[in-house]
Amino acid sequence: MVIGHIIGLLSSPTAEWEKIRDEVCSTSACIFKHVVLMAAIPAISGYIGTTQVGWKIGASGLHYLSNESAGMIAILTYLAMIAGIIGMGAMIQWMAETYGKPQSLSRCVVFAAYVATPLFLIGVMLFYPILWLNMLLGLPAVAYSVFLLYSGIPIVMEMDKEKGFLFASSVLGLGLVAMVAILATTVILWGYGFGPQLTH
Amino acid sequence: MSESTYFDKVIRQFAIMTIVWAFVGMAVGVLIAAQLAWPALNFDLPWTTFSRLRPLHTNAVIFAFGGSALFASAYYIVQRTCHVRLFLPGLATFTFWGWQAIIVAAAISFPLGITTSKEYAELEWPIDIAIAVVWVAFAIVFFGTIVKRKVEHIYVANWFLGSLIIVVAMLHIVNSMALPTAFFGGSWFKSYSLFVGAQDAMVQWWYGHNAVGFFLTAGFLGMMYYFIPKQAERPVYSYRLSVVHFWSLVFTYIWAGPHHLHYTALPDWTQSLGMVFSLILLAPSWGGMINGIMTLSGAWEKLRSDPILRFLVVSVSFYGMSTFEGPMMSIKTVNSLSHYTDWTIGHVHAGALGWNGLVTFGAMYYLIPKLWNKQLYSIKLVEVHFWTSTIGIVLYIASMWVAGIMQGLMWRAVNEDGTLTYSFVESLQAMYPFYMVRFVGGAIFVLGIVIMMYNLYKTIAGARAADVAFPAPATAH
Repeated sequence: MVIGHIIGLLSSPTAEWEKIRDEVCSTSACIFKHVVLMAAIPAISGYIGTTQVGWKIGASGLHYLSNESAGMIAILTYLAMIAGIIGMGAMIQWMAETYGKPQSLSRCVVFAAYVATPLFLIGVMLFYPILWLNMLLGLPAVAYSVFLLYSGIPIVMEMDKEKGFLFASSVLGLGLVAMVAILATTVILWGYGFGPQLTH
Repeated sequence: MSESTYFDKVIRQFAIMTIVWAFVGMAVGVLIAAQLAWPALNFDLPWTTFSRLRPLHTNAVIFAFGGSALFASAYYIVQRTCHVRLFLPGLATFTFWGWQAIIVAAAISFPLGITTSKEYAELEWPIDIAIAVVWVAFAIVFFGTIVKRKVEHIYVANWFLGSLIIVVAMLHIVNSMALPTAFFGGSWFKSYSLFVGAQDAMVQWWYGHNAVGFFLTAGFLGMMYYFIPKQAERPVYSYRLSVVHFWSLVFTYIWAGPHHLHYTALPDWTQSLGMVFSLILLAPSWGGMINGIMTLSGAWEKLRSDPILRFLVVSVSFYGMSTFEGPMMSIKTVNSLSHYTDWTIGHVHAGALGWNGLVTFGAMYYLIPKLWNKQLYSIKLVEVHFWTSTIGIVLYIASMWVAGIMQGLMWRAVNEDGTLTYSFVESLQAMYPFYMVRFVGGAIFVLGIVIMMYNLYKTIAGARAADVAFPAPATAH
């Protein structure tokens, strides 16, 4: 069913958002079904890519991460992604109330998860951790996520388009802030010696 | 006759120059962004090297574009909210020609390599004196108008603009105190600061950060508090919050400068003080952001037909984003990685393009049709401009985030034996794709400005500007 939604969001997003909206599940079941599997894609790809394939910067040779270091990073990233989706879902629920359309938490979490779907899917590219290539592939995925956000809000939250535009902008703003917060937290952790360990 | 109308000629002049300098300043930015990706673009000429054009870019954008926008909106807002003609219109006209002459002097002296080498205060002392004179004239016109106002209450936008004028005068005069080396057998075009060593650095960043705080924040908040309620046709969400916003922002900003000097010769406690005040600054900044967003929150139906309102909404969102990012980056642990990397450049442009740029475009799209008494030529083109700017900014910020984090990580990466994993040149090589994306993002943003120039030219062309009478009797505002 998850696969069906993903294909639907790529081929006919409007109709698929309606289907996603009408699906009912409890919060924990929703998280399990929609988030746990998808978030594993970038985590596992990243682990394999950084330990087995390696990357090259400039003229120097291939760089790898040690198994322990890459494993730790993969697990933390995985947890951060799940927490991020749940957190964004909670913020969306809180804002939906402000915008006069109270929603269940499960619906908001599922919405956040499906907006992030292109990003999870493109996580496969981390198998081959070449930065410029990852960026080239990542940008369209980001753009599609933003498109899903703006097209999905009015449908899933059942509000008119103008209100939805502002709502979606608020979610995007919050997403950027969350992004900066994760960046800062990561850097602080690195500062305390939990940095990645490179091997040649 | 003239005493019953507003003095708008000087506002029209500043508004046009705002648009012109936006193009010039940002086009130079795109050129130097291209130079970072393709160094041959400096043409091997001393006048076009990155080091000489970079201060030209920053000064043109901040003081020529931003400055002209601030003069235009300050003169507009103070008359409209006080219901009187500008105090000493002749002096206001002097500020226009004086300010433009200063910009031209900057555009000549920087390529010649004449510089104090103080960031955002690179202009040499004769130009600094001219700035002080013009700025004091600005203060006389602005506060003179406030004094002769016919509305008892001083609207909050004027408080922000007033703080801009007073604090920038103080910062500029103190930081620019210098002696020409001619007194010691040197040149009349090279001076050195009166302050020495770590104190010079501290004064410089007290100036530098508050140029951000008062020139690029307080002044533009004055614009936000006038143009957002006007365009949305709704009152400010919470007037009480706006007053709290003003006093807390003014009090907190002035202490935050030392975060530019983490891990330098500056005393450690001063650095920590700067960091703590930077973190506190988040509260007033977000208070203001919420006030701006909530003012717009009831104008749903206007958003559909009004791309100008979109510029204002998104500008306030970027204000919120960058004022969150700033305190994060002032945390010493984060700063030890982010400082000297392109993350800082990305942060500055989130503020300068996203907040200052977009709020100014919104204000100009509101102001220019009013000043020339015409309808905007094309709403569709405003919409196109909106999307080009937004895409340009996002490309810029995203590429600089990745570039900055990578630089920070590569510079501190060490091998098991303690040697550096990467040489500096390797980190530079790794930046190439990101510098290309940044160049593309900047170019798209400038394309939007060209679209705006065309749209506004078509709006103004053939229009005959007429002075507007102020409402009398002046009871409310």
